Amino acid sequence: MTPSAISATVDRIVSERLKAKAARAGTYLVLLGLVLWSIQVTIIADTDWHRLGSFASVMRAVGRFVGVDFVLVPQLVQPMLETFMMACLGTVLGCFISLPVAWLGALNVTPSKYIAYPMGRFLMTLSRSIHEIVWALIFVSAVGLGSLAGILALACRSVGFISKISAEAIENIDHKPVEAIRAVGGNNFQVMYYGILPQILAVVLGTIVFEWDINIRRSAIMGLVGAGGLGLTFHRQMVMYNYPGVTTVILAILVLILIGEVFSHFVRKAVI
Amino acid sequence: MAILEVSDLRVRYVTGGPDVLKGVSFHVDAEDFFAIIGPSGSGKSTLVRCINRLVEPYAGRVTLYGEDVTRMAARQLRRLRRNVGMIFQEFNLVNRMSVMDNVLSGRLGYVGNARSLFRLFPRADITRALELLDRVGLGDFVDTRADKLSGGQRQRVGIARALMQNPKLLLLDEPTSSLDPKISREVMALIKEIAGDFNVPVLCNIHDVQLATEFCNKIIGLQDGTKMFEGPTESLDRKALDEIYAMEVL
Repeated sequence: MTPSAISATVDRIVSERLKAKAARAGTYLVLLGLVLWSIQVTIIADTDWHRLGSFASVMRAVGRFVGVDFVLVPQLVQPMLETFMMACLGTVLGCFISLPVAWLGALNVTPSKYIAYPMGRFLMTLSRSIHEIVWALIFVSAVGLGSLAGILALACRSVGFISKISAEAIENIDHKPVEAIRAVGGNNFQVMYYGILPQILAVVLGTIVFEWDINIRRSAIMGLVGAGGLGLTFHRQMVMYNYPGVTTVILAILVLILIGEVFSHFVRKAVI
Repeated sequence: MAILEVSDLRVRYVTGGPDVLKGVSFHVDAEDFFAIIGPSGSGKSTLVRCINRLVEPYAGRVTLYGEDVTRMAARQLRRLRRNVGMIFQEFNLVNRMSVMDNVLSGRLGYVGNARSLFRLFPRADITRALELLDRVGLGDFVDTRADKLSGGQRQRVGIARALMQNPKLLLLDEPTSSLDPKISREVMALIKEIAGDFNVPVLCNIHDVQLATEFCNKIIGLQDGTKMFEGPTESLDRKALDEIYAMEVL
């Protein structure tokens, strides 16, 4: 290239890079502005600074939660069991509902691509869009306070994930065993049970165990709205302002989740 | 006497698309070990799958033991399929199940849903399964998971499964394409021997011409969905092969 052509190209490159830098700087400024504005609107304007007091008083408030109420511990055993069983039953019930939903929502086995399939997908999304607390509220008002509401709520909330993963597993199967079972004269049930199920079993069981683990946490929380278990105990301690008691309940929930972790680990080993 | 008659079979995969089979006709007799040869894409696999309607033809007719397969309703079709044993190129076993369960699945056309659900096959079936597994040389692998076997072993399981159906016809879809030359020969010999013992006619789709000429007594050659050759194996000469494969072969 000629010297003048080179310097023209260099000029062009330099000006392009300057423009890019300016654009980037401008974007960052706008983002910073948005963040500052959000902070102003949501935190600074909305917080009761008077009540907050100083940093020391905030730490003191947190400090009130430190400590264990040992008197409470024996009273926690029954709620812990209740929470645990709620999680188990909720997951099992959720499995039974998930299977047909997964079958509807898998493109290769759904009975109809334009009606059943969208319906299956809709049910999956519905289950996942409604938060477990909302499900709990719905069922508490439908069947009353106690574990039944919790179990039903957990079942409905679990369907979304289990059926979604199962449907995807069904869509990813190898079609050759399916073809073989059709070729020996199998009907639709036999094709499903021998051709499809063995291929998806490991994934589905792993997903169920995963969901069961999550359900332990969910079931503890649901008690807050009256669905039974530890959540109810938690609520009672809160309204009595017994902060060490609240911490004790949280620790109990933690213990349950740890038990769930250990169980999950061994069940997965056995299943996969 | 012809037990299988195929007349003017036409298949296409997309309506309005090109024909994969363009009016193929032939018949298979009771003592035949019948081969369909031809280049890739000539429609051999499609043709074999039309016999038990895993692929639906849009025109033409398939008659097996006097019954019109192409017009059958679903339930009749299942009853037909349980009498037609099929052996696949990639074995098509249920990998996570044991060899025994795979062989027993050959009887699914004969057991109801309840028995299928609990895997409660009749004792006679289990006895026969063991006999067949012995016959194909897998007596020691009865409880092994199918995916732990070698290719040749898996195909033997496939053979046992097909024979569990007490089939009146055996369909083979490139049974040796996934196997090495020595095992291929063993598998073909085994199939021929057992088919002879149980008096079952065989219709085989195969692309290895040497294997076809070695084991089969009748051959048709397909090219691009059309039958280019039909006759006993002896009459398959160089000229016919060149026509079928449209190039120099061996």
